[in-house]
Amino acid sequence: MVGPGFALIVFFGVTLLLALLAWPGVGVAPRLLRRSRLGERVRLEDALKHVFMCQQSGQVCSLESLAGRLEVSTAQAAPLLSRLEELGLVQVDGDGPVLTHDGVQTAVRIVRTHRLWERYLADRTGVPPIEWHDQAERMEHSLSPEQTDRLESRLGHPSWDPHGDPIPTSDGEIPPAPGIGLLSADTGCTVEVVHLEDEPREIYDALLDDGLVLGGRLAVIARTDRGVHVRSGGREWTLDSIAARNVSVRKLPAGTYAELDGITLLDVQPDETVRVVEISGACQGTQRRRLLDLGVVRGTEITPELVSAAGDPVAYRIRGALIALRGAQASWIAVERAENQDAAEVA
Amino acid sequence: MSGLPLGSCVGCSQHRTDSLVRLGLSPDKWDVLIALAGNPNVGKSTVFNALTGLRQHTGNWPGKTIVRAEGVFAHQGKRMKIVDLPGTYSLQAGSVDEEVARDFILFGRPDVTIAVVDTTRLERNLNLVLQILDITDRVVVYLNLVDEARRRGIAVEARLLERELGVPVVAGIARERVGIDSLLDAVHRLSVGDILNQPYRLTQHTDEVEDTVAALAQVVDDTFPRVPNARWVALRLLNADEAVIEAVRSGELGQLGDEPAIVDHPVTTETARTHVLDTARRFRWDLPIDFHDRISERLYAATEEIAGKVQLRGLKKVGFDVDRTLDALLTSRWLGFPLMLAILAAVFWITIEGANVPSGMLATLLIDTAHPWLKGLGGAVGLPWWLNGFLCDGIYLATAWVIAVMLPPMAIFFPLFTLLEDFGYLPRVAFNLDALFRSAGAHGKQALTMCMGFGCNAAGVVATRVIDSPRERLIAIITNNFSLCNGRWPTQILIATIFIGALAPARLAGLVSAAAVVGIAVLGILVMFVTSWLLSRTVLRGEATSFSLELPPYRPPRILQTLYTSLIDRTLIVLWRAVVFAIPAGAVIWLVSNIYMGEASLAEHATTWLNPFGIFIGLNGVILLAYVVAIPANEIVIPTVLMLTVLTADVAGVGSGAGVMFELDNADATGQLLRAGGWTLLTAVNLMLFSLLHNPCSTTIYTIYRETQSVKWTTLAALLPLVMGLTVCFLVTQVWRLLG
Repeated sequence: MVGPGFALIVFFGVTLLLALLAWPGVGVAPRLLRRSRLGERVRLEDALKHVFMCQQSGQVCSLESLAGRLEVSTAQAAPLLSRLEELGLVQVDGDGPVLTHDGVQTAVRIVRTHRLWERYLADRTGVPPIEWHDQAERMEHSLSPEQTDRLESRLGHPSWDPHGDPIPTSDGEIPPAPGIGLLSADTGCTVEVVHLEDEPREIYDALLDDGLVLGGRLAVIARTDRGVHVRSGGREWTLDSIAARNVSVRKLPAGTYAELDGITLLDVQPDETVRVVEISGACQGTQRRRLLDLGVVRGTEITPELVSAAGDPVAYRIRGALIALRGAQASWIAVERAENQDAAEVA
Repeated sequence: MSGLPLGSCVGCSQHRTDSLVRLGLSPDKWDVLIALAGNPNVGKSTVFNALTGLRQHTGNWPGKTIVRAEGVFAHQGKRMKIVDLPGTYSLQAGSVDEEVARDFILFGRPDVTIAVVDTTRLERNLNLVLQILDITDRVVVYLNLVDEARRRGIAVEARLLERELGVPVVAGIARERVGIDSLLDAVHRLSVGDILNQPYRLTQHTDEVEDTVAALAQVVDDTFPRVPNARWVALRLLNADEAVIEAVRSGELGQLGDEPAIVDHPVTTETARTHVLDTARRFRWDLPIDFHDRISERLYAATEEIAGKVQLRGLKKVGFDVDRTLDALLTSRWLGFPLMLAILAAVFWITIEGANVPSGMLATLLIDTAHPWLKGLGGAVGLPWWLNGFLCDGIYLATAWVIAVMLPPMAIFFPLFTLLEDFGYLPRVAFNLDALFRSAGAHGKQALTMCMGFGCNAAGVVATRVIDSPRERLIAIITNNFSLCNGRWPTQILIATIFIGALAPARLAGLVSAAAVVGIAVLGILVMFVTSWLLSRTVLRGEATSFSLELPPYRPPRILQTLYTSLIDRTLIVLWRAVVFAIPAGAVIWLVSNIYMGEASLAEHATTWLNPFGIFIGLNGVILLAYVVAIPANEIVIPTVLMLTVLTADVAGVGSGAGVMFELDNADATGQLLRAGGWTLLTAVNLMLFSLLHNPCSTTIYTIYRETQSVKWTTLAALLPLVMGLTVCFLVTQVWRLLG
């Protein structure tokens, strides 16, 4: 019979070993898996995509920018370019690499898979926004064109990815990116965010932290040397030029309400009736759809009626029905109090 | 619309038959096909029952885990077939429920669709009605619960609503059959063409959207002139609705019109159809990103307008407001939780106390009386001993055992639970407990499926259908097994009485053993919370989530109907599945005990082989073998353990022979037998833990597979508790030995 002390030691030893091997992210197995993914094809496809992206934004990329993008030395990046040239995907002339017709086709297919996968993550899963891009970076190399087409029809042929980038069609058509840069928006107007650049990750993260979401509204107050001063959700702040460059907006017609006073359903006291102004763009996919179906649309009157024994959720009277919403959901719903509304009518 | 008999277009009716077969409807003989649609909690099933009585049949939609009820009845010499669609808030095909309902109305082309509307929540309900009217002209609206609305000071002018909607509107109270005859009359007249509906159609969205919709609708209309509502098709195409796109691509859309083909329409060419799809795709690029929001806004603006015209508000409320008073009490900060515990405790107490007597009677009848009689009969007709043993001692006995232990508690517990649900209390439990479950990454409704699991895990897993958020539903399914089901309570009580109760002075023995059993159940709840938390942060992190919980008004429960449906839908279906799995288990138990290899039976070989590992983790070979062969039902674990103990420990004078399960009348005798089999206090503690933490029974595993349609999640749900159980037993044993 094995001694109990020995058995326990062996057990904890084995558990520790398993954890070291398989712990998500930092374990040995996940690391090996990540490394094996960085095969030649993946690196070639990433290089091709980089050249394509440069071309889309009207620039010509250099060996240095390519090396920087792929996080390799220029000595390692050079053979990648020559390999792409051998494959007939790229022509290198005096200024730098330019995609051939085949090159464009292949690059568009990769971009299409990437954006569709981001759409999928946003609509059908609970993966947080900050992780969409990285996961899509991996999937873009592993889905076949047929799988991509099936994904597209499952998602209902979406036109835009969740950052506002257009998704190329299976024929390789890409419509022009919408909107203008936030830096070129007129001061004094109200704009709607139509695109948030998701790279680099740090800036995207900062934009999300600032509460910027697709479909969100901003009042452009002033342009300063540091960036753009904006107001939204009852607070004002300055977006620095680097961050502002990563935001595209669409100008809303004059007269569209310029600001929200920042009250959400969460701030409303029981038995006080308020009116819905909008559902935040942070609420997407099935969550948003469910709220709309329940009748939470612009102008709907809502009254908190019942607080649960634990304080959250709260049940609201919405179009005659009593619906329980969690605090997180209630904070997505911007509302206005009745007195504001009366004032607006008088004005 | 014309008064011509339906189906005069031969090709169309053939086409429709094909569609119906695809939708899971046998091409029976019926004259009128009726679809029953409505929001959740509007009394749709009451209307269904009022129309069909007991001539109904429930099953699932093909390939979906969504219940479908259908029934047949006769009216004015016509056979009416009615299909109950899932209760939905909209038909925009955002969820499986909505897809099922929409596809049936669109492709099944029912002759009449009854839209059940809750008068107290008219605006929200009209939203669905307008969407139905978009798809089909042949609609009758049934305004249910007018009495409840009146109590709340709401009245609706049915005539006015009829004029607004352009379809017949019947007001009534389904529970009291008020208005059912007028409803039938309207259905009949609509089906024979006496009434010509001119349904309300949404026009004018916001300008930006409207131009696009109108332009596409024109293209659709040019290509499919028979389509009744080109605007709706255009909207769906702009929404990239896969089913509608497919219907255009295949040309099926051209067959969907209500009008019989009086003139020959030119068949649409593939080029024309592709043109429609291409145009739609091009237009989709130009849609504003809040397109979907605007569609919903427009719909609700219309329902608000209609409701404003037909609703009489500000009437004096009749009586006092029961709902608010009850809610203030049941969800109050101080009384909410104590009241909830008291109500649930009462349900469990009634179940346990009430099940004792019928369980004993069934055991006397099926096991003590019928079993020897059957065996005698088998001997009398000259069955060889092995066949007689296999059939009577193996198959029959296992089945009888499962029925005797399982049926009575389920037949009491499920109806009680359904009554609470019907009354409207269960959603309040979910409401109160949501904060607790949310912190574990789960849904408040998991409290309900967990409670259901104390009755039966398979039923608990089926009950998770009430959770409409995918991630939270999976969590509830995978952790349901940690609710100690009624097949495991007897094991816990027996072992606690024999081994734990014996530790305390005689007058406290009962209390101590009861505390031990409750402790195990509470441990199960704790494990459920911890596992939910872990799952929601690891493997299930990426699953989609959405919370919604409607608190329906309190309603007097319909006792007879509840008894009937909970017996049929829950108890009998679960029992049937358990019996199907118990039969092979009984056979295996008998066979391993009676097939000999060399000197010993298979069971003895297996026990000897498993014993070292069993002892190592503080159990023994008999227990492990019992859990392997008794995987179909926890109820037969103890009888199998006793039989195997007799077989392997060579105890004389107890039991009824190899492969014949038995139980002893008193706990002392059982204790002596188990101690003779080498059991100690440690074995008992570990068995209690292992009985809580091991793989679900095969009925539950099968149910999990049916519900999730996924081998991955089923495997996880089966193996996770088993690994936890083995680990816990191992740790307890080693620490016990280290300290002792």
